[in-house]
Amino acid sequence: MSTDVSSPSAPRDTVAVVVVKDEASRLAAAATTTLAGRGGRTFSWSRLLFGLLGLVLAAAVWELISHLKDDPVILPTVQKTVSTFVDYLSRRYPAAQGKTLWQHALVSGARILAGWGAGVVIGVAVGGIMASARPIRHILDPLIEITRPLPPLAFIPLFIVWFGIGETSKFLLILIGVTPIMTIATVTALDAVPPDLVRASRALGASPLWSLLTVRLRAALPPIITGMRLAMGGAWTSIVAVELIAATSGLGYVINNAGVNLQTPLVLSGILAISVLGIVFDGLLRLLHRFADPSTR
Amino acid sequence: MSAIKRTDVTEPSDVIEPSTTDGPRPRPGPWPGSPGRPAVEIIGVRKQFAGRSRRSPGRPALDGFDLTVAPGEFLCLLGPSGCGKSTLLNMLAGFSLPDGGQVLTDGRPVTGPGPDRGVLFQTPTLFPWLTTLGNVLYGPRARHELDAGVRERALALLQTVGLADSRDAYPHELSGGMRHRAAFARVLVNRPRLLLMDEPFGALDAITRVAMQRFLLDLWQREKITIVFVTHDVEEAALLGDRVCVMSGSPGRTRALIDVPLPRPRSVADTETLEFVQLKRQIREALESEPANEH
Repeated sequence: MSTDVSSPSAPRDTVAVVVVKDEASRLAAAATTTLAGRGGRTFSWSRLLFGLLGLVLAAAVWELISHLKDDPVILPTVQKTVSTFVDYLSRRYPAAQGKTLWQHALVSGARILAGWGAGVVIGVAVGGIMASARPIRHILDPLIEITRPLPPLAFIPLFIVWFGIGETSKFLLILIGVTPIMTIATVTALDAVPPDLVRASRALGASPLWSLLTVRLRAALPPIITGMRLAMGGAWTSIVAVELIAATSGLGYVINNAGVNLQTPLVLSGILAISVLGIVFDGLLRLLHRFADPSTR
Repeated sequence: MSAIKRTDVTEPSDVIEPSTTDGPRPRPGPWPGSPGRPAVEIIGVRKQFAGRSRRSPGRPALDGFDLTVAPGEFLCLLGPSGCGKSTLLNMLAGFSLPDGGQVLTDGRPVTGPGPDRGVLFQTPTLFPWLTTLGNVLYGPRARHELDAGVRERALALLQTVGLADSRDAYPHELSGGMRHRAAFARVLVNRPRLLLMDEPFGALDAITRVAMQRFLLDLWQREKITIVFVTHDVEEAALLGDRVCVMSGSPGRTRALIDVPLPRPRSVADTETLEFVQLKRQIREALESEPANEH
């Protein structure tokens, strides 16, 4: 047997690890490939201009089709959608004891932050344990591989039976979407830390604990934040499904309910609100990533 | 801790400034109570690589290996890949322990990594989230020994390695040679008794490599630190080393121990002398000769 003292990621075998790595590299690739591409290091006016041009073009196509169709239930015009959006920022929906779009957004945001936050904490903890203890990795890996491809939607009936139609089910539905992504991101990030980096810190006099905290975990932080961004995206994706469960508030509820009542401008307003919130949350996480990884500044 | 004592006779921050006296500095005993001990003693060391499966036997990397390095000596370990030279270095650094035999530095058995033995890897392995100065101060900070004196020494060191202007730059903003020099400073701030270098310039381009060799020779000339330098480049070994230990695998063993009689200080220009070329041939012949004592 080898008697390695400080090499934390000795060569690991098993197909499962390969699967984990493969998945994460796919996720990471998806994360870095934004619409604007990879060159997001410096701000440039021409890039902003082209970006705006794309948005204007899309709005123009939308406007054109809505005029051709001439049916606000199928596709309202851009003006109609925007005015509905602005209108409902201060108007309650539904009219009786409802909430404004702001308040609905707040409710959805809170649900997402709770589920996502808990999922990140659990995922990082589980991933950290998996990366450092091989038996636990072998036990947990199949479980994660089984739950990973399942859409949260599939759990709705089960969770209603188990936890009722309250906030618990909604919280757990977001949680089970976030946790596997975060676990995989954490395991991959910790595996990818070069062993020589940890050895270097030990040779400079760092204790094993200090080295773990200031090098292994620190080096894994940027890819973990990337995982957090992906998980956040996933959480927003599932919010509409989550708020199908007997909700009386939230952007998902607005979209569902307005859809049932054929209030298409309001449906589009809800979608718009989700996309704005998604961009804001992602922007904050991007800032965090820039802070953690000097080479992307 | 005791590693610091050596330079305390002069100014505290005067780390690798040239010695004021001419000629070699007297080397005080490395550890109290062990005067005259070799800097490195490797006695009958055995090390086995774990087999691929439980049934297949492990491959011996080293089997009964002996080596002694004098204090202040520059020893080059030369051999083909897989001859166990990196294994040896890892055991000196304390990253792995021998399966049998003894590894001693300054008369003490190696039990784990420590700041008294500076390690330089094939790549600079700087911490990408720390500035150059932050990297240099990592060791003292990790040992909770960071104070104004250490900070001053770190700045002086950055001056000596030519990175004073880049102290707030991050590793990705430095060139390859600068990263290596930053790695030197990061190790030297701990005042190691022994430098362990594992093909440190292997990945550099030829020009930077020559510059780094010159830098290392200057450094060693001033510091008179003990260096164990792993390489697979005959010329590099002959240029840098006091002695060249030619190894062969596997299991790794010493094929020849060749003294390098070339005068110091050496420079890269010495590689063109007849003496040097003859020495290189001698080393190469040792490297390529059929081992007499195998099988």
